Amino acid sequence: MRLNRFRIRIAVSTLALAVSCGAQAVTDEDILNDANTPEDIVTYGMGTQGQRFSTLEHLNVDNIRYLQPAWAFSFGSEKMRGQESQPMVKDGVMYVSASYSRVYAIDARTGEEIWQYDARLPDGIMPCCDVVNRGVALYGDKVYFGTLDARLVALNKDTGKPEWIKKVADYQSGYAITAAPIIIKGKVITGVAGGEFGVVGKVEAYDAETGDLAWTRPTVEGHMGYVYKDGKAVENGISGGKAGQTWPGDMWKTGGAAPWLGGTYDPETDLLYFGTSNPSPWNSHLRPGDNLFSSSRLALDPDDGSIKWYFQTTPHDGWDYDGVNELISFNYEENGKTVMAAATADRNGFFYVLNRENGDFIRGFPFVDKITWATGLDPETGRPIYAEDGRPGDPSDTDGTKGKAVVVQPAFLGGKNWMPMAYSPKTGLFYVPSNEWSMDIWNEPVSYKRGGAFLGAGFTIRPANDDYIGVLRAMDPKTGEEVWRHENTAPLWGGVMTTAGDLVFTGTPEGYLKAFDARTGEELYRFNTGSGVVGTPVTWQMDGEQYVSVSSGWGGAVPLWGGEVAKVVKHFNQGGMVWTFKLPKDRVASQ
Amino acid sequence: MKTLFRCLLLMLVIQTSVAEEVLDGDAVLNRPAERSYDIILESGYLKVGVYKDFPPYSYLVDGEPSGVDVELGKRIAAAMGVEFKVHWIVPDENLGDDLRNNVWKGHYLAKRRLADVMMRVPYDKQYAYMQDSTGEYMNEQVVLFGPYQQETWQIAFDPGQMNSVETIAMFQYHPIGVEIDTLPDFYLSSGMNGRLRNQVRHYTNVQEAFDAMREGEVSAVMGMRAEIDHELAKPENSRFVVAHNGFPGISKQVWDVGMAIKHTHRQLGYALEEIVGKLVRSGEVDALFSDLSLRYSVPQYYREFLSDEAIARAEGEL
Repeated sequence: MRLNRFRIRIAVSTLALAVSCGAQAVTDEDILNDANTPEDIVTYGMGTQGQRFSTLEHLNVDNIRYLQPAWAFSFGSEKMRGQESQPMVKDGVMYVSASYSRVYAIDARTGEEIWQYDARLPDGIMPCCDVVNRGVALYGDKVYFGTLDARLVALNKDTGKPEWIKKVADYQSGYAITAAPIIIKGKVITGVAGGEFGVVGKVEAYDAETGDLAWTRPTVEGHMGYVYKDGKAVENGISGGKAGQTWPGDMWKTGGAAPWLGGTYDPETDLLYFGTSNPSPWNSHLRPGDNLFSSSRLALDPDDGSIKWYFQTTPHDGWDYDGVNELISFNYEENGKTVMAAATADRNGFFYVLNRENGDFIRGFPFVDKITWATGLDPETGRPIYAEDGRPGDPSDTDGTKGKAVVVQPAFLGGKNWMPMAYSPKTGLFYVPSNEWSMDIWNEPVSYKRGGAFLGAGFTIRPANDDYIGVLRAMDPKTGEEVWRHENTAPLWGGVMTTAGDLVFTGTPEGYLKAFDARTGEELYRFNTGSGVVGTPVTWQMDGEQYVSVSSGWGGAVPLWGGEVAKVVKHFNQGGMVWTFKLPKDRVASQ
Repeated sequence: MKTLFRCLLLMLVIQTSVAEEVLDGDAVLNRPAERSYDIILESGYLKVGVYKDFPPYSYLVDGEPSGVDVELGKRIAAAMGVEFKVHWIVPDENLGDDLRNNVWKGHYLAKRRLADVMMRVPYDKQYAYMQDSTGEYMNEQVVLFGPYQQETWQIAFDPGQMNSVETIAMFQYHPIGVEIDTLPDFYLSSGMNGRLRNQVRHYTNVQEAFDAMREGEVSAVMGMRAEIDHELAKPENSRFVVAHNGFPGISKQVWDVGMAIKHTHRQLGYALEEIVGKLVRSGEVDALFSDLSLRYSVPQYYREFLSDEAIARAEGEL
C-alpha cells in the first residue's frame, strides 16, 4: 500500500517535471512583448495593442499557395456552433476555447489533446447572444477565461484543473462573459456582457494569482468605482462625477453600456481601452440625453480602473449601435511628427482615428458604402450629425397598427461587428471585416412579454446588395480611402490577421480560410474547413516553420436573426474544429 | 436514530423534487419527447409551463409551486386524471421567444426541455396570425387557445402621500414605481411627452416596488391588476389602496390570457379547452382567484356568446 502510493507519487512528479520542462511561465514581459515574439501567442490580439500583425515573413505572397493543413482537432460533443475563439500558443502547446465555455490544451505539433475543461453551466441559463467564447488569457502557470454564467476561471496550464473560480456578476440578472480577459501587471481584467434590461456594465480587475478582486469600474455615469485593499472596498470616484447629467430620472441605475467585447492595452500610454454597448432601454425616446458612457470607448487606468478619457461614437443611441468594437493603438508619421493614435471601426459605419493619449478626435470617415442615420461627423468633435427621420419611432406612439417603418443602414449588427480588424505597420492599412446591410424598424402593433401586453419594435435585416453582404476592406487611416475591397456572399463574421509577408488572413461563413495580398487585395489562398469560419486566425513559428491556425464552426449572432439574411446563411452547417496549417521548410525561399 | 431521520428527510426532499420537473427528452438524439395526448395519458403526468418567480401567477411558497396558474394547472391535470408536473419558464425578451423555448422547439442550451402546455399566454387573434416581413406566419408552430382570465392595468397608491389618483398627470409630481422593461415602464416614461419621466422609479418586480412604497421612495406603483391585488392583500401593505384612474393612450387596456400547445398536438388542445371552459363557466376559476384575494374578470372570448347570467356565474356573482 505504502509502496504503491510512493510509486504513484514518483510517477506524478516525473510527469510534472516532463510537462514543465521547457514550458516557461508567461510573464508580464512576455505579454507586453508578444507582438515581437512570433514563437508564441500569449495575448488576444497578437499583442496587447490588438494590431493582429505578425512579423513573420517566411510565409508570403510568393509561397502561400504551398500552405498545407498540418492537423485538425475536433472540440467534440454535440456543441457544434459558434467557434469565435482566437487560439493561443506557448511552448508547443495551443490553448483554445470553444463555445459553451470549454477550453482545450492541444499539442501544437501533433494536434493531440492534452486536457479539456468544460465549465458546468447552470440549468435554465439564458445567454442573450449565442454560446460563444472568444478566447483565453495566459499568465504564470495559469489559463484564464470567462464563462457564460459570468464567472472567471483560472486553470492550471498543465492539468486543466481549476485553481480558482470567481463570480464576476449574476447570470440570473442577465450577465455573461464571452470575451477573452486581458492580463496587465498581474491583474486579470474583464468586462461583462448583459443581454437583459437592468444591467449596468463594468470592467473589473482580479489578482491573477489569488483571484481576489482588485478594482471595479462601472461604465454608466453615476455609479461608484472601487479599489480593494486587504479585502476592503475603498471608494475610487463616481463614473462621470455624478448621476443624472446625461440620463433622465433613475434610468442611469439600469443604463446598460456593457463592455462585453473585452479591451486592449497600450504600454506607451499605460491605458486600457474598453468599448461599451448601447444604452438601456432600447427605445431612445424614453431616455433623452447622451446616456454616458454607452456606445463609447473608455480609456482606463490599469492600476485602479479610473476613467482617463472617453469618446462616444453614438450619443443617445437609438439604433442598437454597440460601441464595443476594439480600439487598436498605432503610431503614424505626419508632418515629421509621430502621432500616437488609435483606431476603431464602429457598428455605426464610421471609422474613427483618435489621439490615444487624450481621446481627442483626429478624423473619421465612413468605411461602409452607405450610412443613413447620420449625414456625417462634426469635423471638430467627431459627434454624428443625425439625419432627419433617421431615428426609429417611439413604440409608445403605436395606435394598434404597424407604424411607418424606418430604414436604417447599417443594420444593428453593424458595419462591423465583434470580429477584430488588423493593422499592418508595413502597409499602414487597416483590414476591416465589414458588412453591407440595412434594417427596417417599425412599432409592433401587438406585442406581449411574460403574460402582459407590451410595446415592442419589430425589425428585419436586409442585404444592401443582391450578390454580397460581406466586404473585407483595406482602409487608409490617414485619408479614409478604401485601398481595396473583397466582396463575400455571406456576411463576414470572423476576425482578421495580417503579416509582414504582406498577407491578410480571414475566414468566411462559407467555410474558407482565405489569404489576400495585403497591398492589392488579390485572393491568393483558400481552404475549406468544413464549417463556417467565425474565429480569428493566428500565426506563429515552431521548429523553424510558420504555422497558421483558425477555429471553424458556424454560429454567432447572424443565424439567430432571420429576415432576408437568413436566405444566404441558412444552409451553412455548424461545426467545432481548430485547423492548423504550416508552410513546410522546403517551401521557404532563400532560407 | 438521527441518521435514520436524516435519511427520511433526504428521501422526502428527493420525493418533492421528483414531483417537480421531469426530464423525459431523448438523451441520445438530444431532443424533447413528442408528447401527444395519448402519450400524456399513458405517462400519467402533464408538464405545465408556468413563469418562474412570478407572483401571484406562479411562484414558490415554502418550496412548493403555488399561484393561480399553478392551481389551474393542477385542476387541469386532475381533470385529465394525470399528475401535475411543473415546468418553470425563465422569461425571455418576448412571448415569441418563450413559445419557442418552451412549447415547440426548446432552448438551444436545453433542447430536451419542453412543456406539454404553457399557461399565461395572451389569447389574441391578431398576435396568433401575425406575419413577418416575408409574409410567413410567425406563430404557426403553436396553437393559442383556452382563455381563462382577462388581465388589465392597475395603480395602487399610498394615501399618506397622495389623496387620490385622478389622472396619471399626478405623476408629474409624485414618484411612481414600475417593473423595468414592462409596458407601465414605457407608458409612464414616454407618456405626456415625457413629463412623468423623471418621476418613474424602476424596480426588478412589483414586489420590490411595493417595498419601496413602504419606505416612502414612491407614492404609487403600476402593474398588472393581479400583481397589485396580490401585494395589497399582504398585511404590511394594508394601508395602500387601489386607484381608479384611466390609462389614456394605452392601446391594450385589457387582454385575454390563455394557454399554448405545439401545433401538432391539437387533440391535447381540444381536451384542455373543454376542461378549462368548464372551470371558467362554473366559477371555479373565479374561486381560485378569490382564494388568493385577487379580482377576476371573465375573458372577452366568453363575453361574446355567454348570457349575462352565465357571465355573472363565472365571475362568482351568482
